[in-house]
Amino acid sequence: MLALELTAQGLIQGSIYALVALGLTLVYGLLRILHVAHASLFTLGGYVGVLVCNASGSLLLGFLCAALVAGFSGVMMFRLAYQPLLSQPPYVALIASIGLFIASEEAFRIIFGAQGMSFMAPPLQQQIVLGGGLQFKLAELLVMLSTAIIIAVLAWLQSRTRVGIACQATVSDPQMAESFGISLRHVRDINFFVGSVLAGFAGVWVALLNNLVEPTMGSVTSYKALAIIVLGGLGSVPGTLAAALLLGVIESFGTIYLGNVLDRNAIAFAFLIAVLMVRPQGLFAKR
Amino acid sequence: MTTHDVKHDADHQALLRVVGVGVRFGGLTALDDVSFEVHEGDLLGLIGPNGAGKTTLMRAIMGVVQPTHGNVYLEGESLNGLPIHKRVRRGLSLSQQLVKPLRDISIAANVAMAAAHHKTASPLSALLNVSDAKELALAHAELARVGIDSLSLQSPGIQPLGVLKRLELARALALKPKLLLLDEPLAGLNTQEAKALATTIADINQQGLTILLIEHNLHEILRICRRLVVLDNGKKIGEGEPHTVMSDPDVRTAYLGSGAAGQSDHAKHMKGAAEHA
Amino acid sequence: MNYEISLITTMAIAVMFALSLNLITGFCGQISLGHAAFQGVGAYAAAMLGQAGWSFLTTLPLAMLLAGFLGVIVGLTSLRVRADFLAITTMGVGFLFVGFVRQQDFFGGELGISSLPDHGLGRLGFMLLALLMCVLTAALSIYIQRSWMGRVFSGIAEDEDTMRVLGIDVPRYKLAAFAIGTSIAGLSGSFYAYHLNFIGPDSFGFVESITVLSMVVFGGIGSVPGVIIAAALLAVLPAWFQVIGDYKLLVYGGLLFLMMRFSPDGMAGLTKRFFKSNPMVRGKQA
Repeated sequence: MLALELTAQGLIQGSIYALVALGLTLVYGLLRILHVAHASLFTLGGYVGVLVCNASGSLLLGFLCAALVAGFSGVMMFRLAYQPLLSQPPYVALIASIGLFIASEEAFRIIFGAQGMSFMAPPLQQQIVLGGGLQFKLAELLVMLSTAIIIAVLAWLQSRTRVGIACQATVSDPQMAESFGISLRHVRDINFFVGSVLAGFAGVWVALLNNLVEPTMGSVTSYKALAIIVLGGLGSVPGTLAAALLLGVIESFGTIYLGNVLDRNAIAFAFLIAVLMVRPQGLFAKR
Repeated sequence: MTTHDVKHDADHQALLRVVGVGVRFGGLTALDDVSFEVHEGDLLGLIGPNGAGKTTLMRAIMGVVQPTHGNVYLEGESLNGLPIHKRVRRGLSLSQQLVKPLRDISIAANVAMAAAHHKTASPLSALLNVSDAKELALAHAELARVGIDSLSLQSPGIQPLGVLKRLELARALALKPKLLLLDEPLAGLNTQEAKALATTIADINQQGLTILLIEHNLHEILRICRRLVVLDNGKKIGEGEPHTVMSDPDVRTAYLGSGAAGQSDHAKHMKGAAEHA
Repeated sequence: MNYEISLITTMAIAVMFALSLNLITGFCGQISLGHAAFQGVGAYAAAMLGQAGWSFLTTLPLAMLLAGFLGVIVGLTSLRVRADFLAITTMGVGFLFVGFVRQQDFFGGELGISSLPDHGLGRLGFMLLALLMCVLTAALSIYIQRSWMGRVFSGIAEDEDTMRVLGIDVPRYKLAAFAIGTSIAGLSGSFYAYHLNFIGPDSFGFVESITVLSMVVFGGIGSVPGVIIAAALLAVLPAWFQVIGDYKLLVYGGLLFLMMRFSPDGMAGLTKRFFKSNPMVRGKQA
């Protein structure tokens, strides 16, 4: 049944969006910065994942390396790019981030070539048949599953553990948080690390799904991830997840029914603009 | 017939009429059925414990917040639904508690921006007008009126609070309002500064400007105001001459009854509102 | 000679385009990440009218009007959302334009429009006209800056809530900024179309919006001379340094990042700070 298949496709795409958007929303919730360069970590993760997997034969190792490299790169970005700009008006960080993103995309193109890279022996490609005429690659199922697990873990961390509560405190009242002995620096580092790990992780998944990593793969995801965090409400993990999945599904149906009028991105953004005009604070904003 | 008689004649002669104004934010009732009038030439003080709803009332008059019930009339005309800038053009002017001058321009230029309200009425008229000589002259006049003309070329960024408060006042005056709203003009000032600014405000009123002000500094308010309106928990609990009002048992309870700190008044208000909800 | 003429024309168009964004983002503080869409509107309008038989000069007012009209509509979004959200919304507008045009055969679809009719002005004449428009745009910008409109814009950029309390009809001013800025962008688009003799959906995408924003930011947001110089330089950078051509984006991105990191108020800011140490030079008037 078409609707079911479209929904499933939408959810798969939405899971990828969610993984990327989560990192973005963690940063935005913390620092009010639209961390456009986040998507370059997504691409970086993809490259590292493919390279390591091809070299070692182990996908797991590929995931691990991708996550770590992305994570640390993210923290470096924070230290070198954003931290010095915290006192400036917000557009400064935004534009700096855009500059960084464009430069890094180009760097990938120059270093790895424009054609992209593939797995030598792509894993997880087996077809799994579910009921109702649905058929998925194992990779597709796993990406949805892992996204769900990650979200659950994150949500739990945010509300239950000391670290999570510390994070929230630094958002609502940084000075108060500091006086309680919470190190702003550490919280921010952890935030960037976690978010960047997620992006790198997502990058490997996309590489698996398409069997291709190429320099511009981050672009569109990046822009849409921005749209998603805005839709989902600032810094809200459940909101971001909902918005990401929703956007994936809307795109999925939209390209079938509106495909001759608007292309995929235009549909996503048309949805975003429509929502913002009706609810300027975003779909799931805590109000 | 003297002006005095005319003022107290039929209701529509009051400059400002607040009629049954209520404001609810979700489950919280910030204001509940507040009514009073401000007559031309008044220097009316709006007082009450912390959290009584005074700032909300001022915002409702100004249009920053829309009342959920009731109406506000300026010179007989309803202000309901009007955006802030239109209310300003009708004759209201607000001097805010948190002073935020434009930092890249001088103190005089800040006031001149207000003085230019005729030229800035529409983008087209603003486009067609270049000269700011007249406005700067007006700005100087208002700055002199509040006593900080000597600082007019300086940047607002380096000024102490007392100067900023006077800048804010000058800006509000430069709009040549019919009614001036002042939100805690004396907040943060020491005893001397507060006395000086309060005297300036009284002088400006003497010169003919109608003023409605919120203040916590009871000492100065009792000194300069001829009439008071008291709010507590979003309701009006007293109105009239300062002495009468301050001897009113309800007013005394509101201020002194629940304990020293303003915080406990606020807690009382929150609890009261929760019970209303 | 032809090469130089072409270069100067490119510069003039870029400067016009950048100054038009400067009005919206620099003067009035409304960040727009989709400005290339308005250049695109002007370009497509001029190209299609030209193919329908209109002379180049007669397409100009219409291109401006159309771009300005759509600009006001987009400007309406700035009344609902601000800052970051506005940035994303305008970015979305850019994608919407590209995504729409790309799917319509009416606009030439993926391949765009090529082989425009001759504008009839000759290479030199076209360049001079472009320069004239560019100079007029600069003059208008400076005039606006000195007028009460400029003062109000500046106030809105800094603190629009306070401006409301001062009696300013902030929404109307924002729309005015968008109207003027986008119509001039449309004008630059018309020239762009006839200069390159080809336009396609990818000519006006996100990267182009970022490029023009980087010109404004690089020059110093709000500074007319800064933006002029930055736009002129960045527009011809790849042409002057052939080796950069392939690395154009890398350079743009890097410059953007470095500028924001070390001098957020752009070249104008650098200049101001440089001259501050020289007591002979008066600072900018308030």
